Amino acid sequence: MSDKDPKESLIGTDISGCEVLQKVAEGGMGAVYRARHKALNRIVCVKILSPALANDKKAVELFLSEARAVAELDHPNIVNVYNVGKERGYYFIVMSFIEGQTLSAMLKRRKVLPVNLVLDLFDGILKGLSVAHEKGIIHRDIKPSNILINEEMHPKIVDFGIAKKVDKDKGTTKTTELAGTAYFIAPEQALGRDLDTRADLYSIGASMYYVLTGQFPYNGKNTIDIIQKHINDPIPDPSKIRKDLPPWLSLAIQKLMSKDPAKRFQTAKETYLFFQKMRAEDQLRLKSGTAGSIIDLETDTSLKIIKDSPLSNTESIKKKRHEALLKDTAKEARQSQPVLLPGLDESPVNKPVQPQAPLPPMPQSAAQAPVPPVPPPPPAQAFVPEPELFIQPEEVFAGNKFSVRQLVELAWLPALMVFSLLTSYVFFLFGKIASVHTSPTLGFAANLLSPITASQSAPNQLAVGGVCLIVLIAVFASSSIRAFSHGTMGLLIIAFISYMAGLFTPQVPYWDIKGIGQFLFSPEYSLCYFVVAGMWALSLCWKAKLSKIEVFLGAALIVLTLVLSYTATGLSIAPNTAGAFTKWTGFLGILFALCAIYHLTQKTSESTIVAPTLCLIAAITCVWFYNTSGLANTMNTTLKVLASKIDAGDSSAKAAQKDLDKLGYVSAFQNQSFASIGSVKEINTLSPEDKYKYLDAQITIFTKDAIPQSYRPLMIEMLSAYYLSGPSRMKLLAWDYALGYPIHNFNQNAQNNNAYYFLLTLLYWFGVLGCAANIVFREEV
Amino acid sequence: MSTFDIEFAAVTDIGKIREKNEDSVLISSDLGLGVVADGMGGHSAGEIASNIAVHVLEETIRKVNTGALKMPDTFLPKLDKVERKLLMAANLANAAIYTTAQASAIYKMMGTTLTGVMFDSDNAVAVHVGDSRIYLYRDKKLVQVTTDHSLAMEHVRRGLLTKAEADKSKIQNVLTRAMGIKKNVEFDLLKFPVKIGDIMILCSDGLYKGLTEAQMQQQLEKGSNTPLVKLCKQLVRVSNDNDGQDNISAVMIKILPAQPLTFGQKIKRFFTKS
Repeated sequence: MSDKDPKESLIGTDISGCEVLQKVAEGGMGAVYRARHKALNRIVCVKILSPALANDKKAVELFLSEARAVAELDHPNIVNVYNVGKERGYYFIVMSFIEGQTLSAMLKRRKVLPVNLVLDLFDGILKGLSVAHEKGIIHRDIKPSNILINEEMHPKIVDFGIAKKVDKDKGTTKTTELAGTAYFIAPEQALGRDLDTRADLYSIGASMYYVLTGQFPYNGKNTIDIIQKHINDPIPDPSKIRKDLPPWLSLAIQKLMSKDPAKRFQTAKETYLFFQKMRAEDQLRLKSGTAGSIIDLETDTSLKIIKDSPLSNTESIKKKRHEALLKDTAKEARQSQPVLLPGLDESPVNKPVQPQAPLPPMPQSAAQAPVPPVPPPPPAQAFVPEPELFIQPEEVFAGNKFSVRQLVELAWLPALMVFSLLTSYVFFLFGKIASVHTSPTLGFAANLLSPITASQSAPNQLAVGGVCLIVLIAVFASSSIRAFSHGTMGLLIIAFISYMAGLFTPQVPYWDIKGIGQFLFSPEYSLCYFVVAGMWALSLCWKAKLSKIEVFLGAALIVLTLVLSYTATGLSIAPNTAGAFTKWTGFLGILFALCAIYHLTQKTSESTIVAPTLCLIAAITCVWFYNTSGLANTMNTTLKVLASKIDAGDSSAKAAQKDLDKLGYVSAFQNQSFASIGSVKEINTLSPEDKYKYLDAQITIFTKDAIPQSYRPLMIEMLSAYYLSGPSRMKLLAWDYALGYPIHNFNQNAQNNNAYYFLLTLLYWFGVLGCAANIVFREEV
Repeated sequence: MSTFDIEFAAVTDIGKIREKNEDSVLISSDLGLGVVADGMGGHSAGEIASNIAVHVLEETIRKVNTGALKMPDTFLPKLDKVERKLLMAANLANAAIYTTAQASAIYKMMGTTLTGVMFDSDNAVAVHVGDSRIYLYRDKKLVQVTTDHSLAMEHVRRGLLTKAEADKSKIQNVLTRAMGIKKNVEFDLLKFPVKIGDIMILCSDGLYKGLTEAQMQQQLEKGSNTPLVKLCKQLVRVSNDNDGQDNISAVMIKILPAQPLTFGQKIKRFFTKS
């Protein structure tokens, strides 16, 4: 069987002496064909079991046994089975073919069917059903579409439980189809209880309701809803929809549709006998012309309708749930009483809590209790939390979550504050110790590293300090790799700034934060804003998932950072826009910033974290370079001219005096030649002090005090570099100075305006507030 | 960036009387995924349906992870990433089964349940349709996390049957929702925080039909020191001894404390996620 193509058409083939003519219908369980019985020359109907089920032994067995049982039923109102078996790998049933239509098809033409026609048809249907029921066969799926009406208006019941029985009895087979049809299903069938023949009677009632009123007894938004209404909703009254229905018929239908099988008509025979009797009485009444007065519904015991659930669906559900709740609660209370309430029963404190005096004291507890006046056991419900019928996992463990996690979170913020304060103070002290070695002539980076590079000969605390510093930073860094958070990073930065504060402003004590208001708009403070804005922007760039607001904030911060970097340089000299290189660097910075903003808006996965961060860093670098290019350029030009003048004066002082103006036009190449061949050797042979004095004197000659004394050491430093290593070295130093100028400036002025402490405070609050916000608005990852 | 390690175990058994095993199980420790599917439909359709379900699910998640498949931004943007991934994969699996079923008469009625769990940094995310179940064993208590999509449970939900009645009911195996039956199926999506020491059991109905919750809990308590795979096998064996009328499958997942990372992992992690 399994090797056959299920799609292979059976039309034209021969099965059990029948020539298959045409497919009539197809369902989940198989297909129905019209066929011609060759020997009898008669049109028959052949039903073939679906190939999908042909390998299922149990299904096949039930298919055949059920067919055989129905074949025994020889009744004009039940479709006849002629043959059943297996041929050519197909399981088949040969049945009589009925020319006609189903009851439901009939109903489609007319909205409702006439009462008398319905009664005639159902008389036959019930007779047929009665015979089946006597043989112990339950149809299980009585519905208008399973009743065929032939041309003589004789009803025949088809589809006799064949398919559905398979489903039902296979018990453990999973299926998405319930035996029966939702609109006509008996409540006990819908509940999966054991069935008897009375389930078919329910479906008869529902089918009658449908054909008489044109409406299903219950309607719902889905199958489950309809099924549950059959179980639970009040029985509908067909006479409310169809007014011309005889009252007894309406009541009979309602009786058939009782939820409790015991309250229905008990057999099909009883039903059709009742119908016949009532119709005869109606006839009689019509003849005698006293319709309505003969029948007394009150005395007709067989017609009493007891509605089992007068409540609406939801009401009764609520009630049942409530009952279930009460039951569960009581049960749980009983179980948990000895555990939950040890000794509470005797406790006098507990007495006033008992709200219900009428509760009778338990006889057992009265007998066993050592204290004579035993109070009645408190109503356990008062102590037991109401159990939910459907417990969500979140609810179950909500208690645990609070106790541990939230406690840690609550304690974490103050702990972090104290810890960061302590750490920054330690680092400040390190900085102070190290400040012994700072010198105004050293560069910023060299000053920063002075504790480490300090002379080894001096047995000092500086080396120790430097080592400690490195160790501490390493510890911080390693811990922040594990859980790279804003908190630890912030702490690291605060520690670093503290160290710098100690290093560069040793005169000011750590806690001396005062009078900062007057400096709020100074370049030094701008640098503080710049650092905070930049950090914030970077932290946003280094975040995996951004909300729309955060993207906007990030973009705004990037722009703000670039603007602040301009004000933070605090330079009166405009950037050197004449040079193509610096100009393009500026443009590049803006481009990088745009890239960073673009990446922020496009951020979808973790892989794009690095890109906007790098873009932002590049943008800041480029713009910073652009901003300080003016200073660097001016310094370079000045130094270059100065050097050339010194060179010229050195080789021929007189000529230099004469052609002072001309020297401005000497090309860089010639300068270089002068430098290399002219006076390099002479100047380099001098001792440092003499060199300083010589260069100082030269500067005074050529610039005539245009360069202030405070800048002299710097100029001389650079000039000596020029004579030692050439003009490129001097240029590099000039750029280094210019790039670091804002920080240098910051360091110098920090002693006066407490800028370091302002920066520390800003960062501190930035970090602390960030941590707090992190806790409050924590996103569940 | 999980803060815990996960141990998986999976066992499936044909049972005593069935000729075929229509269940499929899948565990993948690199994806952090465990799935149970219980197929239905005659012929070999059930096997095929459950197989498609687990494999399409796994493949889709893998593809999304590697970037070979992009989740459309419009696909349930309010859910978090793991939820979206899981739901999209489940929907694709349903579509795959449905298309296969529609293409052939033999497979026309096939369908499958699907119950899968994935993890993010501190939650378990479960997708569920049908009557397979997830149990959560925590603090020595066993709780059924999922709700069966069976007519019987539907009645329980509406108060028409009690849980005890439903467990014995004939309509317990009438599913109200399953994969492959309709073009679109509504999945249950659950998310709950996990704790170190949790054990999750994903099982087909075969397991819980032969093993009551109390028995299951007892087994778990007794086997607190047994290796997970052994425990899993044991549960299936006991259930098979008790009932064995159906295929029995179980996936067990244990949440373990995170192992310290190697230096390479640390560096990698440092540069991949905040």
